[in-house]
Amino acid sequence: MVTGFLGPNGAGKTTTLRMLLGLVAPTSGGALVNGVAYHDLPDPTRAVGGVLEASGFHPARTARNHLRVVATVSGIDYGRVDEVLELVGLGSDRDRKVGGFSLGMRQRLELARALLGDPQVLILDEPANGLDPQGIAWMRGFLRWYATQGRVVLVSSHLLAEAAQTVDRVIILAGGRLVADGRLDELLQGATTTVRVRTPDAARLVRVLEQAAATGSVEHAPTSVRLEDADVVVAEGTTPEVVGPLIAREAIVVYEMTSSGESLEQLFFELTEGVDRGGRPMGQPPAPNAPFPGGPDEGVASTP
Amino acid sequence: MRRQVNAELKKFRTIWSTWLILGITAFLVGALTSVIAFAPHGRGRRAVLFPAQGTARWFDSIFSTLSISLTLALVLGILCMTGEYRHKTITPTYLAEPRRGRVVISKLLASGVGGAAVAVAGGAVALVFGFGVVGGGIGNVGRMLTEYRHVFPGVLVAAILYALYGVGLGALLKNQVVAIIVGLGVTVIVEPILVGVVPSVGRWLPGQLADALQSVTASANGIGSGSTNLVTWWEGGLGLLGYGIVLAAAGALTTLRTDVT
Repeated sequence: MVTGFLGPNGAGKTTTLRMLLGLVAPTSGGALVNGVAYHDLPDPTRAVGGVLEASGFHPARTARNHLRVVATVSGIDYGRVDEVLELVGLGSDRDRKVGGFSLGMRQRLELARALLGDPQVLILDEPANGLDPQGIAWMRGFLRWYATQGRVVLVSSHLLAEAAQTVDRVIILAGGRLVADGRLDELLQGATTTVRVRTPDAARLVRVLEQAAATGSVEHAPTSVRLEDADVVVAEGTTPEVVGPLIAREAIVVYEMTSSGESLEQLFFELTEGVDRGGRPMGQPPAPNAPFPGGPDEGVASTP
Repeated sequence: MRRQVNAELKKFRTIWSTWLILGITAFLVGALTSVIAFAPHGRGRRAVLFPAQGTARWFDSIFSTLSISLTLALVLGILCMTGEYRHKTITPTYLAEPRRGRVVISKLLASGVGGAAVAVAGGAVALVFGFGVVGGGIGNVGRMLTEYRHVFPGVLVAAILYALYGVGLGALLKNQVVAIIVGLGVTVIVEPILVGVVPSVGRWLPGQLADALQSVTASANGIGSGSTNLVTWWEGGLGLLGYGIVLAAAGALTTLRTDVT
C-alpha cells in the first residue's frame, strides 16, 4: 500500500515526516513507527528507511563511502552497498565524489541509503524533486513495486497528478491539520461529478435542472447549471443517476450524456480551500497583457 | 558502540580534510624543525632559541615543535562534530543512530584516535629530521632518543585530549566557523592574557593544562611555555579531559537536542 501525504506548501508535511524519524521533537504528542518512537527502534535502519530532502552528503566523499559509513553503523554488509547502488542506477558512479552529482543523482543516492537496511517501512519526502521525467517514472514504478512486496510506503508530494498515479491512499494536511484520510478511490467516489448533456432542447433541460436544484426535490441536485454551447448543458455537483431520471421524466431528447469524475486535484483544492496556508495566499495571476510589475513600461511617460 | 566508532573512523578516512590536517601537521613540524636545525646557533640570549647542534637543549627545541600537533588535533575534533552540521550529514547520521548521546560519545572516541594520528604524523617527521641532522655519531642518537622519549608521550596524550576538547566545542557551538574561531581564539588570545593577568585562572585553561600534562616527562628540560605556575601533570590531564567531556555533555544536552531540519 502506497500512502500519499499531501498538502499545500507550509502545511507541515516535512515537519511531520521528520517527527516520525526522530529528527524533530513534537511540541506535544508523539510520533510512532510500528508502535514505538524512532529512538526506541532496536535497529532503525532495518525497520524504517527515510528519504529526506534536506539530507546531506559530504561533497568530498564518494557515493560508495557515503553508504559504507551508514552500513558500518548498522552492521550491514558492504555487498549490500553495491547492490542498492545498482538498484538506483548509480552503479557506474559509485566511486565518484558526491560533490559532482546532479540533484537527481543525489536523490537516487538518498534513496539508496534508505534502502540499505531493506526496511519494511519507507518514508519519502518529495522523492520526485530534481528527477527528470524518466527518473520520476522510474520512482513511480519503484514505489509501486516496493509496496507490492507487502511493505509500507509513505510518500509526501505536492505534485498531485504524479501522486494520483502512484498512491492507493491519501492523507491530506492543510494548515497543520488533517483534512482527509482514506483510500483515494473511495474519497473520489463519494465526491460529486460534472454531467454534460448534448440535447436539442437545451433551454428546457436547464430550466428542469435549475428547478430541481431550487426545490431540492431530488438528492444530489446540481449545484450549478449552465449552457456551455447552444446544445450542451453542463451541470456540476451532481451525478448521471440524478440527471438521467429527470430527462426521462421530462421526455427530453438526448444525443449524448457524459460525466467526468472529480480528480485528486479538485478534491485537494476543495479540502484545502480557505484553510490557513501557513504562508500568505498567492495573489491573482496578472492579466496576460499587463505590463511586468516594475518593468520598463511602468511609470514611464510615453512622450514622443 | 564499536560499530558507531568504526563508522566515525570511516568518516575520517574517507574525506580529504583529515589527510590535509595530517599533512599540515607533518609539514609544519618539518618546517619549524628545519629552521631550528639549520639556523646558526647563537650565544648568550640567542642560545636559548637556537642552541648548539647536538646538545640536549637543541633536541628539546627540535621536539618542542611537536606542540603544533595540539592545535591541529583541536581542529580535527571540531571538524568531526561541526562538519556533520555544515554538510547536513547529521541527518543520515541521526537516522542510523537516533540516540544522539551515543553519536557524541563515538565521536569523542574516534577523535581521540584521530588526535593520536595527528601526534604520530608530527612525531614521525620530527624523528626523521632528528636523525637526518644528527650526524654526530651514536652518542648523539642516544641523546636524541632520550629527549624524544621525554617529549613525545606528553604530546601524544595532549593531542588526544585536545581532539576531545574540539569535539566538545563543536558539540556545544555546532557552527564550524564559530567553533574554530573560539577554539583558536582561546589558545592564541584569551589564554596568554589570562595567564598574565589572572594566573590562578589562566593555569586552568587548555594550553596551560597541556603544558602541565607534558611536564610530567619534560619539565626538567623546560619544554612548553616555561611557565612555573602550572598545575600538576595529572591535574593537567584530568582538566583537559574534563574540557572535552563537559563541553560534549553540555552540547548533547542543549544544542544537539534541537530539531534537525
